[in-house]
Formats: sequence, C-alpha cells, structure tokens
Amino acid sequence: MSVRLRQLGVLPFGGWPATAVAIIGVCIYLFPIYWMLISGLKDSAEIFANPPTFVPRAPSLAAFEYVFVRENVLRYLRNSLTIAIPVTLLTLVLGSMGAYAMSRLRNRLVDVAIVVVLLLQVFPEALLATPMFIIFRSIDLLNTFAAVILATTSKTLAFALVILRPMFRQVPFELEEASFVDGCTRLQTFRLVVLPLMKVPLIVVGTLCFVQAYGQFVYGLTLLSQQELQPATVGIYSFVGAEYADWHRVMAFSSIFVLPILVIFLAMQRRIVSGLTAGALK
Amino acid sequence: MPGSPSALLYVFLALPILYLIGFVGFPIAYNLMMSVQEVNLGNITEFIRPFVGLDNYRTVLADESFQKVLVNTLLFVGCNVVAQVGIGLGVALFFAQDFPGAGFMRGLLLCSWMLPALVVGALWKWIFATEYGVANYVLSALHLVGSPIHWLSDPTVALTSVTLANIWFGMPFSMILIAAALTAIPKEHYEAASLDGAGSAARFWYITLPALKPALLAVACLVTIYTMRAFDLIFAMTQGGPLDASNVLPLLSYQFSFKQFDFGVGSAMGSFAFLIVFGVALLYVRTLKQETAS
Repeated sequence: MSVRLRQLGVLPFGGWPATAVAIIGVCIYLFPIYWMLISGLKDSAEIFANPPTFVPRAPSLAAFEYVFVRENVLRYLRNSLTIAIPVTLLTLVLGSMGAYAMSRLRNRLVDVAIVVVLLLQVFPEALLATPMFIIFRSIDLLNTFAAVILATTSKTLAFALVILRPMFRQVPFELEEASFVDGCTRLQTFRLVVLPLMKVPLIVVGTLCFVQAYGQFVYGLTLLSQQELQPATVGIYSFVGAEYADWHRVMAFSSIFVLPILVIFLAMQRRIVSGLTAGALK
Repeated sequence: MPGSPSALLYVFLALPILYLIGFVGFPIAYNLMMSVQEVNLGNITEFIRPFVGLDNYRTVLADESFQKVLVNTLLFVGCNVVAQVGIGLGVALFFAQDFPGAGFMRGLLLCSWMLPALVVGALWKWIFATEYGVANYVLSALHLVGSPIHWLSDPTVALTSVTLANIWFGMPFSMILIAAALTAIPKEHYEAASLDGAGSAARFWYITLPALKPALLAVACLVTIYTMRAFDLIFAMTQGGPLDASNVLPLLSYQFSFKQFDFGVGSAMGSFAFLIVFGVALLYVRTLKQETAS
C-alpha cells in the first residue's frame, strides 16, 4: 500500500517531513478563518492598529456583546434556523423517497429522471430569484418563511438525490426480499428495513443540506424584505454593506454564525468528505 | 408480492421530480417567457404582458455593461477552473503520499468550502481592506509591494481580488474530488510501470494523468457550475463594482431586475447565463455517463 502511494509521488520524501510541510501549508491556507475568529476578539482600537496584531493583545468579548445587544444576532440566528431545519427535513423526506426509487427501478424513465435532476441542480439561484420573486408574489407568499424554505429546498433536494442514489444502491435486495416474504408491504419495508440501514448516510446528507440552507443568502435577500424575518446571512450583508465597517463587530457576528458549521464539520469530517465524493463523480 | 410494490416506487420517484420541475423548471420557463415581454413593477403580477419579441435580447447585446461583464464572466470562470483544478491536482497528489495525518489534514482544508459564501465574501473584504487589511500589511512587510493595493476599489484589480477569494473558497472541494479519483487508480498500473523502469515523472504523465482525465473533466464542469453561482461572494465584496469591473452575468441580471426593475431585460440577460450553465451541465452529464459506462 505505502509503496503505491509513494509511487504517485511529487516529493522525494514521505513520513514526518511531509507532515511538517502539510501542517505549515494547512495553517497558511486556513489563516483567513483564524483571522476572522481573532478579529472579533479585538477592540475598536486594536482592530485598526498598524501593524495589525496577529494575536489579540487584550482579547475582549465587547464586539460579541455589541452584536448580541445591538444587532439582534439572536433573532437573525433564529430566523436562519427556522429556515434551515424545515429545509433539511423536507429534503431528507423527498430525497430518500426519490433516491430509493431511483436505486430500485431500472428503466428509461429513471434514466430520464436522473438527467433531469443533474440538469436542474446547476442553475444559479441569482437567476432563479427573479422568477421566484414574481411567482411567490403572485401567490402572496412574499415575506414568509415558507417562500424561502420552498425555494431553498429546490437546491438542496437535487444535491441530496445525487448523493443518496448511489448510497441506497448499496442496500442489498435480499434484505428487502426477506421482508416481503415476512409479509411487509413496500412502504413498511422502506420504513422499517431500508431507512434504518441508511441512518448514517442520511445524517451526513442532512448535515450538508442543513449547512447549505443555513448559509443561503439570495432567496432570503430577495423574498424577505421585512428585517424581522431575514436570516443571518442577510444581516451580515447589511452590516458590511457600507464602505467603512466596524470590522471587529462584523467578524464577531460572522464567527458566531459560522461556529456551529465549523464544529459540525470538525466532528463529522471523515464522513462528510466521503459523502461528498460519493455523489459528485458517480 | 403484497400490493403492487412498484406503484409506490413510481410515486416516490414522482414526488421529488415534480417538486424540482415546479420550483426549478417552471421558474426557468417563466424566466424565458419574461425575456420576450415588457415586465416592470406595474404589470409584474399579471400573466398577460406586452410581447416585445427579441427586443430585450437586442437591448442586452447592445448594452456596454453586458459586453464587459460577459468578458469578466469568462475570465472569472476560466481562471477559477484552471486554478482550482490545477492547484487541486497538485495538493491532492501531495496528500496522496504516505505520511502521518495526511487524510485528516486533507479533510481539514475543506473548512473553507463549508463556510457560507456570503461570510467568505465579508471575510475577504476585510482581508483586502486597503488601509487596515492584512493582505496589504503582509505584502508590504515582505517588501513585495511599495504602496498599498486598492484591492476592491481599483477597477483594474477588483476582478483579480474576487477571483482569488473564490479560488480560496472552492479549491479544497475540487481537491477532495480529485483525491477520490486518485485512489481509484489500480495500483497494478504503477507496479507494472515501475518494473518497466518508469520514473515518477513518467508515471505521472503516462499513468496518473490519463487515468484522471475523465474525473478532471467532470471536476472542471462542476467548478464552472459552482463558479457561475458565485453571487454571494461578489455581492458581499464589491457588488460587482467599481463600474462593473468585478461583475458577472448572474449578478448583473439580478441588478437589472431588482435595482432598475427592468425584469424583461434582466431575464434576457439571465437567459445567456442559463445557456452557458446548461451547456456545461450537458457536458458534465455526458462525462459522468462515459465514466459509469467504462
């Protein structure tokens, strides 16, 4: 195994020297994230210090306190969650149904359906925002969470179908046949045999869909004009809109917002990576 | 078998597909319809609107900002594809080596891709701030630049700045996909090549690269698709400015609709972007089919 890997080689050395190079490289690459986190810990004098400090001289939570008290961070986070959680659930329900059907049916209709999904997942939200705005306006859903939830799910659902389809295929037919023999209907088999086996993939895909919905910006911006309903992405955007910004506060707001994502990612890194690679190239 | 099992499967298949057709297919069709109509705030909720033929498309083609932004879009997407696939391949090869912590650190890079694009835009706006930004500080401390660069306000630099930020954002995803394709290359190929006395450069050129070709093409398509979506990042960093210097098609189309309320022209502009994305998507689907077939 190790022989093969070294044969791919671009470096004349492996082992610990390569680890050292990798650590330095990863630290440089992820420096912007570190910069975001520590910028939020600086006060209004230190944030504009020249030269900038790479470790906060006097770390303070003042910027965090400010955004909680004055910028309604909690309301923005609640709105983001009110959108992201239903999107995730709706995506998982429709996604697991579709992916299961795609993995079990074998005919031209399924081939067409797969191509439809692949093609419909590529369109930029910024372009769909205009017709969505008009459609939701005609059915009087502007300024409701429902509009953003329905719009966002159209993106996460296609993504979930692409990733889940190959995973559902791995559930052996024999298990289902055994369950039919025991007198279960197709629906019972799906609920009691197939879904429990797919628990881990569904959690991974659910996490990825949640992250996408949580960070969604365009539909929140377009479909919600009432500030009380807007998600945190729109809140951060209006906070940086100005030429001059209180960067320590913007970065404190951003840090609070992305911290859950980073924690979830670090906890599930391995599974997320393998989930992503399973869908996109197969 | 109890009941008619496959009937349920067809229902399962129909629900998500109908959802996607309703919330993606229908808006696209609606967009096409608007692109041949005169649509303004007055008649926006009506279904029957004045038909103007291809007038909106003529307006778009004659529009100077459109021509400029079309070139920007091609540059932005092109640079992202080359850089993300090129750097992604290099980094994936590096991590394919056998060293402690390789898999973990490779995955860690994906942190940047997990962040919401809007936050990435806000973050890089701060990094690229002319006076207090860390980018200018580091470059001048290393004596690489004399005077501070106006990353976001200089029309000759703004497109480069948003391109750099987007490469940082997207490269790890390309790299992860390429890394997965790398591990799928059968090791016998390398063993045979070693016996034939092939050096590492020859092995890369004659084995790794040809074996990766379909995957690299698929990744290039995906990067194009994802880069055409880079609305949030640019919106947060420059709003496409100054003077459309860093604007791209989807963003310009959005601005026509929601800033000038000229929904017809905005839709016609969107059609051009749809066309680009759709062409690449077809190529992507074909690549995937070939890969599954082989």
